Amino acid sequence: MTEPAIRMEGMNKFYGGFHALKNIDLEVKPGEKIVVCGPSGSGKSTMIRCINRLEEHQSGLIEVMGTVLDDDVDHIDEIRREAGMVFQNFNLFPHMTVLDNCTLAPMLARMIGRAEAEKTAMQYLERVKIPDQAHKYPGQLSGGQQQRVAIARALCMTPDIMLFDEPTSALDPEMISEVLDVMVGLAEEGMTMVCVTHEMGFARQVADRVIFMADGEIIEEGAPDQFFDNPQNERTKTFLSQIVGH
Amino acid sequence: MTMTAETAPATVHMQEPDLLQRIKAKYFATRIDAIVSVAFGALALWIIWSLLNWAVFDATFGANRGDVCREDLHGGACWSVVSTRWRIVLFGLYPFEEQWRSGLASLVMLGVAVLSCIPWFWSTRRLPILWLTGFAIFYVLMRGGWFGLVEVTEQNWGGLSLTVFIFAAVSILGMPLAIVFALLRRSDLPWISKTMALIIDTIRSLPLLSIMFTFAIVMPFVLPDWAIGGKLYRVIVGYALFFACYQAEIIRGGMQALPVGQEEAAKALGLKCRHRIGYIVLPQAFRNALPPTINQFVITFKETSLVTIIGFFDVMASGRAASGTADWNFAVIEMYVFVGLIFFVFVFSLSRYGAYLERRLDTGRR
Repeated sequence: MTEPAIRMEGMNKFYGGFHALKNIDLEVKPGEKIVVCGPSGSGKSTMIRCINRLEEHQSGLIEVMGTVLDDDVDHIDEIRREAGMVFQNFNLFPHMTVLDNCTLAPMLARMIGRAEAEKTAMQYLERVKIPDQAHKYPGQLSGGQQQRVAIARALCMTPDIMLFDEPTSALDPEMISEVLDVMVGLAEEGMTMVCVTHEMGFARQVADRVIFMADGEIIEEGAPDQFFDNPQNERTKTFLSQIVGH
Repeated sequence: MTMTAETAPATVHMQEPDLLQRIKAKYFATRIDAIVSVAFGALALWIIWSLLNWAVFDATFGANRGDVCREDLHGGACWSVVSTRWRIVLFGLYPFEEQWRSGLASLVMLGVAVLSCIPWFWSTRRLPILWLTGFAIFYVLMRGGWFGLVEVTEQNWGGLSLTVFIFAAVSILGMPLAIVFALLRRSDLPWISKTMALIIDTIRSLPLLSIMFTFAIVMPFVLPDWAIGGKLYRVIVGYALFFACYQAEIIRGGMQALPVGQEEAAKALGLKCRHRIGYIVLPQAFRNALPPTINQFVITFKETSLVTIIGFFDVMASGRAASGTADWNFAVIEMYVFVGLIFFVFVFSLSRYGAYLERRLDTGRR
């Protein structure tokens, strides 16, 4: 029995008096791809942001690659190094070139020399098909290109897990596929992935499990075929009919 | 190929208007335009002509004595006051034989300022090293006592080099302090941020003059003996504190303009707090806050003149002293023009440099 990549047990999150996440139990096996969906305000983004402590959970257990997430800064940093994250708004550092965006964290947080960091960065930039943009600034790139740089930047830390927080929601429609292609490629190579996304085609193609959240709870989960073709819960059915209707 | 100008629209170009046409279009398009242009043109000509008359055609150069200059005077300026007394303006009471040191020291500081315009120096390590080295050389040259240089105490410093010294010291001391203040002000712990806010608001609501007085005159009674230091240094510390409080709020403004996602992305990459601040937050905060920062430096440079009230002769006071003798007291305006020119050269280059920085830092943005 291999150790899970991510384990959450009875995890609760409050914003003041508001109960944002209720008793979340979730295990992600190494190499598993999870797609999380649900209506807005259901807590799906909050959940994956709890995994790397961008949000603090108040009770319950979160364990990433065997490290328990608590108030110990070393544990938090360890988990953040092992879990790369891609954001809805890219969040590239606008004052640095694409290459510097990719080498900064490996050099500072992994103590890798510049030459090696740049070599690795160029490999990943090639992987996301924009090595020729390495010396430009993020502001000079299109949204799709920026998001691909963001993926490369996260990969440069050679994480075990990739977290995607609505990676295509801020993109123009014609740029979505170039980002999804990169994500599909990553999935095929066996990366452990947790993706909050509404791209149902992507979910069908890639996901091992789809999780549906509403009101801070996991309402339903299952393999994509079963989830999409034969949803059990009423709310899941309503949600899916709304998404497919558009 | 039969491609000609007619078939290729991209190569069709309008005839460039020549200079005369452009002037006509810009200044004489309508009757009102023409009247305004002529009126303001005449006014400008008259002002320039009067100035030239005063400063050049009717002016006296080269007379080395005040009384000669006074008799020669026919409505123009007497520049002899500058050519005979400029050393006082630049070096104040600094001993005559040693004034080359004061001049060299100022040149070193000027060199440091010019060097820090070169992008190669723009790193968190190189820039502080450059400034601290330059400042150390300046200090050793000015103060002496080492390397066989005769010691000249701060009481005898003066003129432009004193102004440069105060400005550089306040900046070097005040800027790191401002960064610390800004970070404390943003602390998650309410006790720290509230206390810092109170300190900043208190110091900002006091006049600079009263702070300088307090540090120069009152502090010696309050501080333990070992902490008193020279009067000049106490004033610099007080001024740096004042500078830091203003600059801290400028930096904080720059930080607040940063999207939250920037720090989140840095966290998610596993960067430690000091790296997030040093590589992500501060560089962008300074870029956002560049115009008000340059403004703050300009104000700081000009307000160094306030040290006269506690008995130091900065460039302004030295200028007054230089034209204050019975010999030259008729030539006060010429001296003020000279001192004003010195200020103008410094402040104008500072703001041009600021404009250059803004253009350069903007390349990464759209």
